[in-house]
Amino acid sequence: MAALESPQPGTTSAMRHAFGNVLSVLILVLIGVLAFSIRLFSVIKYESVIHEFDPYFNYRVTQFLSKNGIYEFWNWFDDRTWYPLGRVIGGTVYPGLTLTAGTIWWVLNSINIPLSVETVCVFTAPVFSAFASWATYLLTKEVKGSGAGLAAAALLAMVPSYISRSVAGSYDNEAVAIFALIYTFYLYIKTLNTGSLFYATLNAIAYFYMVCSWGGYTFIINLIPMHVLLCIVTGRYSPRLYIAYAPLVVLGTLLAALVPVVGFNAVLTSEHFASFLVFIIIHVVALVYYIKGILSPKMFKVAVTLVVSIGLVVCFLVVAILVALVASSPTGGWSGRSLSLLDPTYASKYIPIIASVSEHQPPTWPSYFMDINVLAFLVPAGIIACFSPLSDASSFVVLYIVMSVYFSGVMVRLMLVLAPAACIMSGIALSQAFDVFTGSIKYQLGGSSNSTDDAEDTSTSNAPKDDASASKTDKGEEIVKERSSKKGKKKEREPADKPSVKSKIKKKALVLPLEASIVALLLLIMLGAFYVIHCVWAAAEAYSAPSIVLTSQSRDGLHVFDDFRESYAWLSHNTDVDDKVASWWDYGYQTTAMANRTVIVDNNTWNNTHIATVGTAMSSPEKAAWEIFNSLDVKYVLVVFGGLIGYPSDDINKFLWMVRIGGGVFPHIKEADYLRDGQYRIDSEATPTMLNCLMYKLSYYRFVETDGKAYDRVRRTEIGKKNFKLTHFEEVFTSHHWMVRIYKLKPARNRIRGRSKKKTSSGSKSSKSAKKNPWV
Amino acid sequence: MRSTMAVNTKLISLLFLLATVSSVFSSSFSDSDSDSDLINELVSLRSNSESGVIHLDDHGISKFLTSASTPRPYSILVFFDATQLHSKNELRLQELRREFGIVSASFLANNNNNGSNRNKLFFCEIEFSQAQSSFQLFGVNALPHIRLVSPLISNLRDESGQMDQSDYSRLAESMAEFVEQRTKLTVGPIQRPPLLSKPQIGIIVALIVISTPFIIKRILKGETLIHDRRLWLSGAIFVYFFSVAGTMHNIIRKMPMFIQDRNDPNKLVFFYQGSGMQLGAEGFAVGFLYTVVGLLLAFVTNVLVRVKNLNAQRLIMLLALFVSFWAVKKVVYLDNWKTGYGIHPYWPSSWR
Repeated sequence: MAALESPQPGTTSAMRHAFGNVLSVLILVLIGVLAFSIRLFSVIKYESVIHEFDPYFNYRVTQFLSKNGIYEFWNWFDDRTWYPLGRVIGGTVYPGLTLTAGTIWWVLNSINIPLSVETVCVFTAPVFSAFASWATYLLTKEVKGSGAGLAAAALLAMVPSYISRSVAGSYDNEAVAIFALIYTFYLYIKTLNTGSLFYATLNAIAYFYMVCSWGGYTFIINLIPMHVLLCIVTGRYSPRLYIAYAPLVVLGTLLAALVPVVGFNAVLTSEHFASFLVFIIIHVVALVYYIKGILSPKMFKVAVTLVVSIGLVVCFLVVAILVALVASSPTGGWSGRSLSLLDPTYASKYIPIIASVSEHQPPTWPSYFMDINVLAFLVPAGIIACFSPLSDASSFVVLYIVMSVYFSGVMVRLMLVLAPAACIMSGIALSQAFDVFTGSIKYQLGGSSNSTDDAEDTSTSNAPKDDASASKTDKGEEIVKERSSKKGKKKEREPADKPSVKSKIKKKALVLPLEASIVALLLLIMLGAFYVIHCVWAAAEAYSAPSIVLTSQSRDGLHVFDDFRESYAWLSHNTDVDDKVASWWDYGYQTTAMANRTVIVDNNTWNNTHIATVGTAMSSPEKAAWEIFNSLDVKYVLVVFGGLIGYPSDDINKFLWMVRIGGGVFPHIKEADYLRDGQYRIDSEATPTMLNCLMYKLSYYRFVETDGKAYDRVRRTEIGKKNFKLTHFEEVFTSHHWMVRIYKLKPARNRIRGRSKKKTSSGSKSSKSAKKNPWV
Repeated sequence: MRSTMAVNTKLISLLFLLATVSSVFSSSFSDSDSDSDLINELVSLRSNSESGVIHLDDHGISKFLTSASTPRPYSILVFFDATQLHSKNELRLQELRREFGIVSASFLANNNNNGSNRNKLFFCEIEFSQAQSSFQLFGVNALPHIRLVSPLISNLRDESGQMDQSDYSRLAESMAEFVEQRTKLTVGPIQRPPLLSKPQIGIIVALIVISTPFIIKRILKGETLIHDRRLWLSGAIFVYFFSVAGTMHNIIRKMPMFIQDRNDPNKLVFFYQGSGMQLGAEGFAVGFLYTVVGLLLAFVTNVLVRVKNLNAQRLIMLLALFVSFWAVKKVVYLDNWKTGYGIHPYWPSSWR
């Protein structure tokens, strides 16, 4: 923007362009620095540590990769998790992130920069967010010129939604995937604007990188066909469109099938069918246009009936095949997550394990203000700016924002996909507004003497699209352009450019009143300043917590709660290397990565029954739970308890989900048994089932010894049952702030007598218990 | 959530006594003839009813359940309905009743060739106003309620056959699972009536086939509604407004437009404090504020610049600026109020 605001009136246009370019590069470098450094709050406030849950798994995989090499990684069967099933890692992860970080580590090491794997993992996300903002610049530049590009890049560098997934230490797929997403879109638009096969090939490769990185690639492979279809339907078909689309589908699908986790899904699942359908349609349309080109108009009319009828037959056949394929698979070929996007009420009805995750909830309006802040105000202006004039590229970004804003309304995590679109739109809106306002001010301050000269000047600066004029086409120009596109990029520019400049000169200078423009400018700058303040605040306060180390600010200073690492370290030092540790799935990745112990379930929730078994054990009384755990060879049970220090996301608060998921598979666990009149409570009003379940006992065992009253700070009440003994478990470790408690299963020896007695006494009961507990 | 009905305890106990006595009494005199009579009667009732759900009243209940001897040769799945509660949407009575009919119809269709299984399970419904005493007999005081009376059950108050909420949460499919689990009969795949009947589909397909050439012709000429940019533009803006207003949240969570104030029932609450939830009107209000600023900005930069009259420009622009400023301020205020976040800048420490 700044580059365009200050064109020197005296210098030649070449000098101005050169100056503008240098300034643009400088600004882009600064934007990169900004994007990187705003994400360092977590390192400054805490330490250089991997965050949360999933990143620990990625970190562990990267460690494995850097130690054993790519082939070992590809064939890695992990027996440390999902005991006794294990998990094939190589075939079930999106390898993009791991390979990226592994490559960075390898390159750095081979040029003798000895960074640890952890350091590389921590800083991958900030580095890639700098890349992402540059990619945004390129994309927006293709759509509306470099001024809008710079504005969009600056906005993206600090958009809170993206920061939330890419702070230093947040080593997750999204960290690289958003860059890949934007870059793929950029290359698509670049191909669309130039009609160059070179960019089309690059586009397929970028798409491949996206497929490697994140399951969200289905967004691309549905959005681009939709845009192609839109272009065809609205009569915007061109050879450039064909070149942009056909190679992407063929090469992209072939490459996508190379990724083990996708494999034949790339041609078999419904998420991809739209692209094939559009692939066929575009060929039919291309044929029509070709025939139209070689025939006289009269002949064409005869031919069109022929071609249309043949094309229709082909289309109907393909549609029939697709429908048959879709109908033959149980869920219609759609995965649960995709289905819940189409029918938003689907997940909440049918799949508790998807509905239970907080990032799959639909957002409310404050989420938008939190995550894209003032961009929410600017987007409509950007949409309108994209419609005047509407080009292939700008129609694509409009489609992008519309689809992503709808999806973000269904699932709050998809706000991440919305963020780049919102930045692009707002960048376009801001840049247009600045152009108009500064143009008006400059025109009126320049005085009336050289008004004609200035009018011309403003008209060009009103249109920052000069650099990327390929994108700025009116309908009339397009025909000229299509012809010339064969001749190459450079020549094509001139005929496209000239009419637009001429038509602008003819118009009266478009100006607004001086003082109102100044006020508007000031208000816009204030809006921008507010955005910056909000983003810095969000990065520093809301999104920088690693959630593995917690802090709290109180009157007597800063408290640090490092209980998680304390207890994982305890596990790794005090237990046998082959011991199995059971916990709720949230802590699976961390346990394997930090304690190096085998877990029963982890955050990769691929086996619902297994998770339900652990949920059932946690919701059962001690004895039944012991039997389930014992049958799984579990030695230790880990629970997270926040009642002492007021840590709200502990296991007691997640417990109802354990009951629900457990009850979904083992019907003897009923949610109603744990609720008193529909309310979940743990005080003296709690149900006996609740007070006797394992989770309650393990969480509150000896809790009364802390303050004498057993007051739970999270639930804000005294607990219901204070003094009790454990019969089948023994406490082996409780962390400093009681956040993590580890129990050992008592050996079976103590129970032999009781068990043998029971066998003789109750024949009927044993059948009942066999039904209840599938593992015994 | 649950609505309770008035229960006359005295009457219940009396009826209960009567029922037990009569069932005990009749059981000693039961024989296979009367069993087959009952079945025949049920079958004829079923064949006369829509989708095979038999409408029973007090008389029918006593005839087929209380006075029939145990073990009865059939199970009965009873749907408890109350017309007076159909207006309460949160109970979903009508929806469940429809699904119940679908399960019944599917059961009949899938067991068409298997006469013995077909007559082992009957789907019945009783309506509160016509069968109040039966409701008491079953001890039902909350709806929705679906109960399976298996052949062995003599005490109708025994709630072991009750269908849990989880059993009809997935509508017909989970109801069928419940039935299959309890009765060991197969319901088979649920056969929902198609949204459109076959002739309708035929007509629609024919219409599409006939109209396609014309549509394609018009598309090639480029003069359809879809070539109108204003349509696309307003569509895009609408979707944006729809989403940022959190409407999906309101649909999925079935949020009302506003709620009554707990302390003062005459006052209505339009704005809910706490970021996890929002009310319908609140969402639309803020969605409107979100959208209006951008629209005004676009209006100023695209339309107003073309206006010739300088004073009109000035006036409209100042008005637009004022409205935008107010809207942003309002949203910031509402956001701070709703979420309780204290957003603050970070100044260099030497500036303080």
